Amino acid sequence: MKKKVLAALLTTAMVATTLVGCGSSEAETPAAEETTEEAPAEEAAPADDAAAEEAPADDAAAADPVANLIAATTDTVTLTVWASEEDQDLTTTLIENFKAAYPDVTFEITLGSESESTAKDTILTDVEAAANVYAFADDQINELVTAGALQPVSASYTYDVAAANAVGAVEAATVDGTLYAYPMTADNGYFMFYDASVFTEDDVKSLESMLTAAEAAGKKVAMDISNGWYIYSFFQGAGYELTLNDDGSNTCTWNGEGATDVAQAIMDLCATGTLVDMNDEEMATAIAEGTVAACVNGTWRAETAQEAWGENYAATKLPTFNVAGKDCQMSSYSGYKLVGVNPYTDSKYIGWAMLLAEYLTNEESQAARFEARGLGPANTAAASSDAVQANPAIAALAEQAAYATPQRVGGNFWTPAETLGQILVDGNQDGTELQTMLDTTVEGITAPIE
Amino acid sequence: MNKLKSIGNYFKDFGTAIVKGDIWVKLSLFIMGAGYIARKQVINGLIMIALQAVFAVMCVFYAAPNLAKFGTLGTVQFEQVFDPLTLISTVNDYDNSFLILLNSIISLFIIVAFILVYIANVKTVYRLQRNKEEGLHINTFREDIKALFNEKFHITLLTLPCIGVVLMNIIPILVLVAIAFTNYDQQHMPPSALFTWVGFKNFKSLFTTSVTVTFGYSFGKVLVWTLEWAFLATFTTFIGGILMAQFINNKNTKWPKMWRTLFMVAIAVPQFVTLLLVRNFFADSGIVNTICANIGLTDFLKDVGLVSEHLTYIPFLTNPSWAKVMIVIINIWVGIPYQMLVATGVLMNIPTDQIESARIDGANRLQIFVKITMPYVLFITGPSLITDFVKNINNFNVIYLLTQDVYVTQDQLLANSHAKEIDLLVTWLFRLTNEYYNYKMASVIGILVFIICAAFTLVTFTQMIKGNREEDFQ
Amino acid sequence: MKKTVGFVTRHLFLAFLVVVWLIPILWLVVTSFSGYRGINTAHFFPETWSLDNYKALFLEPDSVVQYVVWFRNTLVIAIFTCIISTIFVLMVSYTMSCLRFKGRKGLMSFGIILNMFPGVLSMIAVYFVMKSIGLTNSHLGMIIVYSAGSGLGYLITKGFMDTISVSLREAARLEGASEAKIFLRIIIPLSKPMIVYTVINSFLVPWGDFVLAKLMLNSGIATDWTIAIGLFNMLGKSLINKYFSIFCAGGVIVSIPISILFVLMQKFYVEGVTGGSVKG
Repeated sequence: MKKKVLAALLTTAMVATTLVGCGSSEAETPAAEETTEEAPAEEAAPADDAAAEEAPADDAAAADPVANLIAATTDTVTLTVWASEEDQDLTTTLIENFKAAYPDVTFEITLGSESESTAKDTILTDVEAAANVYAFADDQINELVTAGALQPVSASYTYDVAAANAVGAVEAATVDGTLYAYPMTADNGYFMFYDASVFTEDDVKSLESMLTAAEAAGKKVAMDISNGWYIYSFFQGAGYELTLNDDGSNTCTWNGEGATDVAQAIMDLCATGTLVDMNDEEMATAIAEGTVAACVNGTWRAETAQEAWGENYAATKLPTFNVAGKDCQMSSYSGYKLVGVNPYTDSKYIGWAMLLAEYLTNEESQAARFEARGLGPANTAAASSDAVQANPAIAALAEQAAYATPQRVGGNFWTPAETLGQILVDGNQDGTELQTMLDTTVEGITAPIE
Repeated sequence: MNKLKSIGNYFKDFGTAIVKGDIWVKLSLFIMGAGYIARKQVINGLIMIALQAVFAVMCVFYAAPNLAKFGTLGTVQFEQVFDPLTLISTVNDYDNSFLILLNSIISLFIIVAFILVYIANVKTVYRLQRNKEEGLHINTFREDIKALFNEKFHITLLTLPCIGVVLMNIIPILVLVAIAFTNYDQQHMPPSALFTWVGFKNFKSLFTTSVTVTFGYSFGKVLVWTLEWAFLATFTTFIGGILMAQFINNKNTKWPKMWRTLFMVAIAVPQFVTLLLVRNFFADSGIVNTICANIGLTDFLKDVGLVSEHLTYIPFLTNPSWAKVMIVIINIWVGIPYQMLVATGVLMNIPTDQIESARIDGANRLQIFVKITMPYVLFITGPSLITDFVKNINNFNVIYLLTQDVYVTQDQLLANSHAKEIDLLVTWLFRLTNEYYNYKMASVIGILVFIICAAFTLVTFTQMIKGNREEDFQ
Repeated sequence: MKKTVGFVTRHLFLAFLVVVWLIPILWLVVTSFSGYRGINTAHFFPETWSLDNYKALFLEPDSVVQYVVWFRNTLVIAIFTCIISTIFVLMVSYTMSCLRFKGRKGLMSFGIILNMFPGVLSMIAVYFVMKSIGLTNSHLGMIIVYSAGSGLGYLITKGFMDTISVSLREAARLEGASEAKIFLRIIIPLSKPMIVYTVINSFLVPWGDFVLAKLMLNSGIATDWTIAIGLFNMLGKSLINKYFSIFCAGGVIVSIPISILFVLMQKFYVEGVTGGSVKG
């Protein structure tokens, strides 16, 4: 299996030269069957155990990069890994399995905790002090690449990263045609959770009917509208654009013709008092207490919702909403969690860091992650298992995928968008002309980076 | 004028030493220990020679390579080549602008310090020569050491604290001042990218408000609130503290110690715990809002118009006006027990005879408080009041812990430069560095905060030092 | 009769104030005994009571909660910080108050102004200074960061020393005592309230600081942290709903040693806060 990757590698390029910011993506052609060959294993380790055992016996070891690396590594390989707090136990097991897969090498791998959603903040403060292998959410990839904090995935050794994972996940891990990270989960987007005892399947098709049903039941529908990440779903859904430019600034048409109708629609929805603006933590409490019967949120809230609603727990794609008499399907950001390798890793160990990143994201590890924590795999083979398919949250996410876009947005987007959301939620108390308001927001979003 | 004169004298003495010094003094210009050794102060001489040698080594291996790049802050960008066959990467010898800046400043610091030692050295050697010519006593090494615990005791005492301050305060401040003149931001982040000097550009952009760059607008707004806050926070807690101390110390109050201890419990819990707790306490869907809604307060406030009609909660920490009031109130809650403690100490020592005579003259309690107690307390605690004011200008904890992740601004122009209505200058610059890596603008703001605070303190403190009360009591 | 009414209203008013002041603290304490781990927003008192949160703190350390280790780390850092800070402050105060040398006033003003610079901003530079001497992610580094600049906080102690009669020092000098001896044998014993004041204040710094600590201890390994980072971390977005009541329990435990310290030292502390001014 390793040889195939190698062969592909050699055909694609002789020597991969990767400079930060302008790397070339290699190893995109390797045979796809390589991943399918591996039977879905219960334990994460076996496949690689076999590979490692095979390695020393291989006469052609000289041509095998991993065998070469094993042979060239004489001292202890010291690496640090960052995974989120919730992922510590699983990652510890996976690291142990990784060590066992390479019995000839002594490892000293330290595991630290750093939430995927805030990894960027810690890493960018001092890239050199950051972990060698770390997990992060895909919205941070642009800033991490700009800061040179990601080693391009110029070749893969134990499985083919580009082919084994869902297209969207690979796209999310790619910047300017270069693959920068290893997809780990494909469940970081948002969709609609609801209590089936309050809403019928027809109700959840449009936001308006949901609000009617919720009002009748004396419940609320929650969404974090004063948050750029979520308010995007309205504007994108109504056909207005937000894209990232090469220099890190944004292009945005949220003030285009008719966009005021979208703003008006959001305001009207909030004015009903049934659609409430809540952040994630507040939502969790509100669900548990039973005041909220439906919410726009992601898989990380699945557990809370399931506990509160029991059998009536259900999830689906986002509903439509009415803009000046026309129903628009709400869009969303698709979200992935990725694993990256820090280029400021000791040059002797960087290969091991990449192998470890591969290991943490291979099919078995992704399957194990789903089993342990219900996180949706990015790996297509792992995602096709029956257990994954049966998970309502992940199914809803898959449904929403048709309307989701990968998150490509510059840092100047967040504060202006958040403020826009807050003003609309508050019903525009100052009475600013909607067009002027959107113009100011867009000016902030598109402000030049200097 | 005096200052100029003393600087002139400083160099004049140095010149005299060189001109009038004998061969040993002149030799000291090259070998610093020479003059000592000639006067039989061998150990002093050897120490000086060693110092000079260390300095020379430092110059060659540390200062020179860094200072050489100081003008450009580095030119070689990080480049890495990864070989997929051996899985090993090679990295070029790249420049890190930040480290160049930091090391250059440290180098400059050492060089200046060395020059001062160098000049002092020549002067000392010349004085030794004079002492010898005049037949005066020349200290032995043992006597020199002894002097460090007597007439030169201040040097012994100040050395370590000064090194600490240089390392933790002065050098970081100089680095940050320098950054205000560079383009260090998210597009130019070391180690992967380089940054360089841009002159006064950042200062200009702070004072311009264009369509897209709203720093000027935000700076004005944030500055005004910072000063309002500092004033409110300082005086409310101060006066509240005095009143409460008065109240508890009153002879009609039973068990004063118990009351005081109960209030102290509030400060015994670390501030960050109480503040984070209070933030959740007053959250939009928090416990206080639940209670207010249950007892009908929310509806009442809606009727009065203090809470806008469409809300189902009181926006304690999410509406600009509510949040400002709440922050001041919560600060009173945090600050009064502490101020009460201070005031208790002061009030215990209040000259009772004055109060007695005032009472005999027929002054009522309010008059006594306003005419005697307050002026006395103000006189005593004046300096700490000023320090408190400056501390409040820089009061990061209260604002950050209460509003971070909770408060969303509705002012679009503020939002466009990542500021909020309730931001102090420090919290704004913290956000700029911590979330947007805009170090250049944060440095500019930091310098301005510093100037404001320094001007304020200079005016008040020089008055104090000039007034020189320090020896009145001794 | 009138007197009794006055007496009762006075004490009722005080009791009211105490209630206002202690309600959030009470909420902290009762929430720490809550059986529900998230934020309880519907009821002031928890619906189910349990000791699980304390158990989690002390007996079940996981990747998020390493309370005992944090407590030990913070204690070690705090003890050394307060020793060094106190020594530095005393040294600087004595120099500024009792010794006369060239440049003293300039140095004093300089120190005061330097103290004005917002520490939040120079933090990043402090971080890189410490990194270049290899002291990030180390408790020694934290001790240095907290105590090295403490000499600047000399003002209040100096004010106190100004009030110590100069004749004491002169008498000692006539008997041939060196300045060092005067400092150690006369001034320090007389400055007891100030020492207590400085000790308490500097001891409290590591317990309350999380911004600087978070920057300096950035390895992501929970066992390196101090209490403040650990507790702050529990209120992160993804953790708050599982750890809020544990956070409260942690807050309660931290407050215990500090409360004891305060109550014991209250008298000295009051004298210290008001510095020398009291005698004026």
